[in-house]
Amino acid sequence: MKVLIVDDSKAIFLMVSQMLEESGHTGVWAEDGQKAFEYLSGNNDIDVILLDWNMPNMNGPEFLEKNLTESFTETPVIMMTTENKPANIKKALSLGAVEYIMKPFTNDILNGKFELVDGLA
Amino acid sequence: MSIAVSEKHEISLEIYKFFADYIYNHSGMTYLEKDYYRLETRLRSLVKLFELKSVNEVFDLYQGSVTPDMHAVLINISTNNETYFFRDIVPFKILTEYLIPNIQETKAVGTINVWSAAASTGQEIYSILMSLSEKYPDLLSKMTFEASDISCEALDKAKLGLYNGLDVQRGLPIAQLMKYFEQLSDENWQVKQEFTRKVNFFKFNLLKEEYPKAKYDIIYCRNVLIYQDMPNKQLIVNKLYASMKPGGYLVLGNGESFIGLETKLKRETFNNLTVYRREP
Ligand SMILES: C[S@@+](CC[C@H](N)C(=O)[O-])C[C@H]1O[C@@H](n2cnc3c(N)ncnc32)[C@H](O)[C@@H]1O
Ligand SMILES: [Mg+2]
Repeated sequence: MKVLIVDDSKAIFLMVSQMLEESGHTGVWAEDGQKAFEYLSGNNDIDVILLDWNMPNMNGPEFLEKNLTESFTETPVIMMTTENKPANIKKALSLGAVEYIMKPFTNDILNGKFELVDGLA
Repeated sequence: MSIAVSEKHEISLEIYKFFADYIYNHSGMTYLEKDYYRLETRLRSLVKLFELKSVNEVFDLYQGSVTPDMHAVLINISTNNETYFFRDIVPFKILTEYLIPNIQETKAVGTINVWSAAASTGQEIYSILMSLSEKYPDLLSKMTFEASDISCEALDKAKLGLYNGLDVQRGLPIAQLMKYFEQLSDENWQVKQEFTRKVNFFKFNLLKEEYPKAKYDIIYCRNVLIYQDMPNKQLIVNKLYASMKPGGYLVLGNGESFIGLETKLKRETFNNLTVYRREP
C-alpha cells in the first residue's frame, strides 16, 4: 500500500513511514494540505491519506473541506493528530474523514485502523 | 573495581515451582518449567508491593498462611489480560447476523442472557453491547449482560469502563468511540453509563466455582481455555454446556477448539467461524 502522510513535522513523517515499512507499506510525504493536493493532482498511486490537523498554509480540516466541495479525491482519509476533543473529531468525520488516529499511537493501532477502512485490509 | 550491589539474585527453581503450582491449583493456568521466566518480573513486582527485600522473602510469606488479599494479588499478576475491542471482528458480526436471529427463531419470548466468561478489562462485553445496540436497539431491554473474570484487578477496570487513549484505539472504530464513550480528560475515556449500568460484573473462577444451570443463551469464553490443560478444559467445557440453555451458543477464541475433548455441543459455522450450540 502507498500512503500519503500529510504532516508538517518531518519527524512524524519519518516515524510513520518507518512504521509503514515494517508492515510492508510505503510512505510519501506532503508537508501540508496544499502540497497534498499538488501531489494528488499529479499522481494516482495513493491508497490512503493520513492527515494531520495543525499545519501551515492549509490545515487538515481545510483540506477535507476543499476535497469535499470539489469532489477532488475518493481516496480514504484517516486523521492522524493530537487533536482529540470529541467536537473536533466529529467535525473531521462530518467533513469526510473515515477514521481517526489520536497521537500517540502504536503500529498495532495504525494497522488496526487500516483494517477498519473498507477496501484497505 | 566495583561490584554491582543491586544485582538481583536468581530465583531458584524451587520458588518458581511453588508459585507455578499455587497458580495452577487455583486458576488452572499452567506455567511449565520452560515458561518460568515469564513469572520472573511478576514475582519481582510482589517484592515491591509487600515492601520486602527479595523474592525469597515473598516465598517465605506465601508459605505461611495466605490471606485473601495475598491470594488475589498473586492471581492478578499471573493472568494475561490482553484484550481489545471487537477482537477478531467476526465474533461480533456473528452475534447480530447469526446468533440472535437463530435464537429468536427457536424461542419467541423470554429474555436473552449473555455472559462474557473471561471478560478481562471489559472490551469484550462492551463490544457485544455496541454491536447489539447498532442492530437490535429494541432488544437490549429484553436482555441481560454478565461479565466475569478471575482477576479482580481486571474486573475493576471493566466495571468503570475506563480506558486510555491507546485502549480506545485498539479495534474500536472512531464512530463507536464518539457514540458510546465520554472523554473524561485528555487521556481518559469512559463507556457511557447506559452501558456500564447494564452489565453485572462479578468475580468468577471458571475452574472452581459453581455455574448456574441452563441460564445462558450466549456465552463468550474467548482466549482463556488456551491457558488450561486438557483435563481442566474438559471440566470447564462440561460446566459451560450445563450452564447453557437449550439452543444457546458458545463462542470461543479464534484458534481455540474442542479437538480432543468430548462434548454434546454441536458445531455450526458462519463466515468461517465455528461456534458451538446446545441443541434446542
Ligand atoms: C487473554 S484474556 C481474554 C479476554 C477476552 N475474553 C478476549 O478474548 O479478548 C484471558 C482472561 O482470562 C482470565 N482467566 C484466566 N484463568 C481464569 C479462570 N480460571 N477463571 C476465570 N477467568 C480466568 C484472565 O484473568 C484474563 O483476564
Ligand atoms: Mg502538525
